[in-house]
Amino acid sequence: MSFFKWKAKSKEPERVTDAKVNRAPVSPQSLSPGVRNHHALLEAAGPSHVAISAISANMDSFARGRTAILKKQPSHMEAAHFGDLGHSSVNYQPQETRSRLSKTVDQVLQDNVALPHFMRFMELRGSDHLVHFLLEADSFRSTSWSRVRAHSLNSVKHSSLAEPVPASPDGPELQETVSHTPSAVTRNSSSEVPTDSSSMETRLSLGTPRAETPSRQAPSSRTGTPSKVQSNSTLRDLSETLIKSIEKDAVTIFTKYISPDAVRPIPITEQIRNDIVAKICGEDGMVDPNCFLNAQSVVFTILEQQHFSEFLRSHHFCKYQIEVLTSGSVFLADILFCESALFYFSEYMEKEEAMNILQFWMAADNFQNQLAAKKGQYDGQEAQNDAMILYDKYFSLQATNPLGFGDFVRMEIESNICREGGPLPDCFTTPVRQAWTTMEKVYMPGFLSSNLYYKYLSDLINSVRADEFVNVSTPGQSGPTDNDRSSSNAGEGSQTQQAAKKAAIKILKNFDEAITVDAASLDPESLYQRPYAGKMTFGKVNELGQFIREAEPEPDVKKSKGSMFSQAMKKWVQGNSDEAQEEMAWKIAKMIVNDVVYQSNTNSPIKATKL
Amino acid sequence: MNFYLKKNIEICIKLLLLFVSWKGGTCPYSQFNMSKLPPLLSFRATMATAPYNYSYIFKYIIIGDMGVGKSCLLHQFTEKKFMADCPHTIGVEFGTRIIEVSGQKIKLQIWDTAGQERFRAVTRSYYRGAAGALMVYDITRRSTYNHLSSWLTDARNLTNPNTVIILIGNKADLEAQRDVTYEEAKQFAEENGLLFLEASAKTGENVEDAFLEAAKKIYQNIQDGSLDLNAAESGVQHKPSAPQGGRLTNEPQPQREGCGC
Repeated sequence: MSFFKWKAKSKEPERVTDAKVNRAPVSPQSLSPGVRNHHALLEAAGPSHVAISAISANMDSFARGRTAILKKQPSHMEAAHFGDLGHSSVNYQPQETRSRLSKTVDQVLQDNVALPHFMRFMELRGSDHLVHFLLEADSFRSTSWSRVRAHSLNSVKHSSLAEPVPASPDGPELQETVSHTPSAVTRNSSSEVPTDSSSMETRLSLGTPRAETPSRQAPSSRTGTPSKVQSNSTLRDLSETLIKSIEKDAVTIFTKYISPDAVRPIPITEQIRNDIVAKICGEDGMVDPNCFLNAQSVVFTILEQQHFSEFLRSHHFCKYQIEVLTSGSVFLADILFCESALFYFSEYMEKEEAMNILQFWMAADNFQNQLAAKKGQYDGQEAQNDAMILYDKYFSLQATNPLGFGDFVRMEIESNICREGGPLPDCFTTPVRQAWTTMEKVYMPGFLSSNLYYKYLSDLINSVRADEFVNVSTPGQSGPTDNDRSSSNAGEGSQTQQAAKKAAIKILKNFDEAITVDAASLDPESLYQRPYAGKMTFGKVNELGQFIREAEPEPDVKKSKGSMFSQAMKKWVQGNSDEAQEEMAWKIAKMIVNDVVYQSNTNSPIKATKL
Repeated sequence: MNFYLKKNIEICIKLLLLFVSWKGGTCPYSQFNMSKLPPLLSFRATMATAPYNYSYIFKYIIIGDMGVGKSCLLHQFTEKKFMADCPHTIGVEFGTRIIEVSGQKIKLQIWDTAGQERFRAVTRSYYRGAAGALMVYDITRRSTYNHLSSWLTDARNLTNPNTVIILIGNKADLEAQRDVTYEEAKQFAEENGLLFLEASAKTGENVEDAFLEAAKKIYQNIQDGSLDLNAAESGVQHKPSAPQGGRLTNEPQPQREGCGC
């Protein structure tokens, strides 16, 4: 990509002057970053729209050049440009159906990257206790179940022992299974530790403190038979301790979220509440670890229906998406399964004249998915007809959109389709995999460094900025609608430039130079600013008699000075171009006028006296 | 004197070159390998040929029952031809065309979805982020008209609140077999705030207008600010128009739609 580097650097001086000429109404922030960019590679900042378009022009020409070269070369060389078609790819998973950019509630709750954004969103809406409850209840359930199971396993083991079997190998293993289940977000486990460790000084330990256990287990196995008697009593005490700690946790959750006098109660019915109470205070003293399941599902539904769609439209989700996209590793799955990214990617593919590959992949993937979803209960004839349509379009020798699949693949497809009983859901797997790897290896790197991708990111950033701006400036409003946003933006347009205190956002490790987006330059309001509006004049004549034009000239007027070659000839023959000559002429005229004025000024006293 | 001398020289050289090219039969360009030219010049050369001079891209989806003619409408619009025996769509297909609205060149990226029930789940995922939706029914089949409410519900649920939806009654050339009157469809459209047109993919009647009307409405929404141009889910891509950087071409630099003239 050294070509691009050279281009970018040579554009620097033009960028600055263009910025001065064309962006007068915009804040001067865009100028100084431009100058800084020239000096510090990593501190690069503030490309104006001119720069963006210049870069895109280069990208266009680069892309054009590449596909043009592809076309010129004989067809047997094209294969090299399309990669190895996935023959060597061992990590292709046909089950990749998820984009990290589009999430469901479930996925968000389990994703460590998306969760903080979701929490922040819910905090702003004042409903974060719902999420906290869900997470705590979930961790309570999983830890309680694992502890109960571990305890029962251990009790079985001890009761059936006739002689001391070295318990240490099993013990640490149990410890590990227990230690893995409490996931990252557990507040209960941290509260459990002080209570448990105090009661387990001399006992076999089963619960959370893992580091202490191996040493404790060893003495017990060595003591042999006496330990059996001891272990029975320890077991009883142990189970009591276990029960007590589980109960304690359940009560904590209850008081925090469910009891009527909690600080932030979750909205559940009285019946569910009583149900939970009954389950906590069970007959045999054991707390049912599933006691919160009903409440959990209720809260989950509330989250899904009332809050999640707003979250997906909010700037927090945009922030999460930006984080994923700039993390440095964007996968093809992220793009192909997220509609907004796909919009930009399909535009890119069309420019690369590779739309067929994408279309084929989408059609075959959809076909296979809907077949697989039927789980074997589909009409074979219908499926065969569908498959034949795809075959005729992309594979057959008289195909309307040939993709260049080899004979081997074609024959495999033919036999898959003409299978008795209709094609199976995996009948197009091989060409789908080839299309996937082609897109991944050949087109995606170009897309990720293209102007379209940059545009997609800046759109995301803009949605973030616009939303946050509204939230900051109008704290009383909840959930800005589009109208609100536009009116508040219009009214406080001048504030936008100052309020965009968002420091330049650094993005895109895929660019050779990190381009920092100066958020002020992406101000949508500048679209509506009309520097020439309202003057109603074509121009004015200055003191030299020069006509300075103020209206924009007709866009359709094309001063065709002839072909490029003749222009070059003209330049070579004539030397200076017309503009330069004109400029010189004006300068000389100005000098003459100044001279004359000066002369007349000095002569005027004499002239005045002459009558 | 100097001036006329220079002019003469210029004319002589021009004639010479003309003579050479006539003799040689090749364009004087051919000696310049385009790819070796500095990028500025090659950009100008490619810019003259490639139609990349649009300022917006709008995403459309076409939805409706199977067999109403969605793919034929798309084909008529993009290729200006009628496909007499086109096979049914598998999943989703794609077509583009550049149109002009209010002096702005706009590229329409049109996603044509399959109408068969079995593809419904996969096509739903393409609704999101569409700037415009064409809901098509067949005027010769009443059932396709009756299903419109479920299509409309889907569209409203899965797209943006300010997506422009236009109702199209296709196969208007088959007047003899008409099953749905113009008036009742018009009333349905008005009740639900939709644009409405009857069209025929076979004859091409009103096909272009259908896409154009929706584009005009979207453009209007952009102008009055109800559609945020820079939101990622709006279904609109805005790019500064291709003649970029005032040094490269003669056209004036800031081509913003708000320029006051």
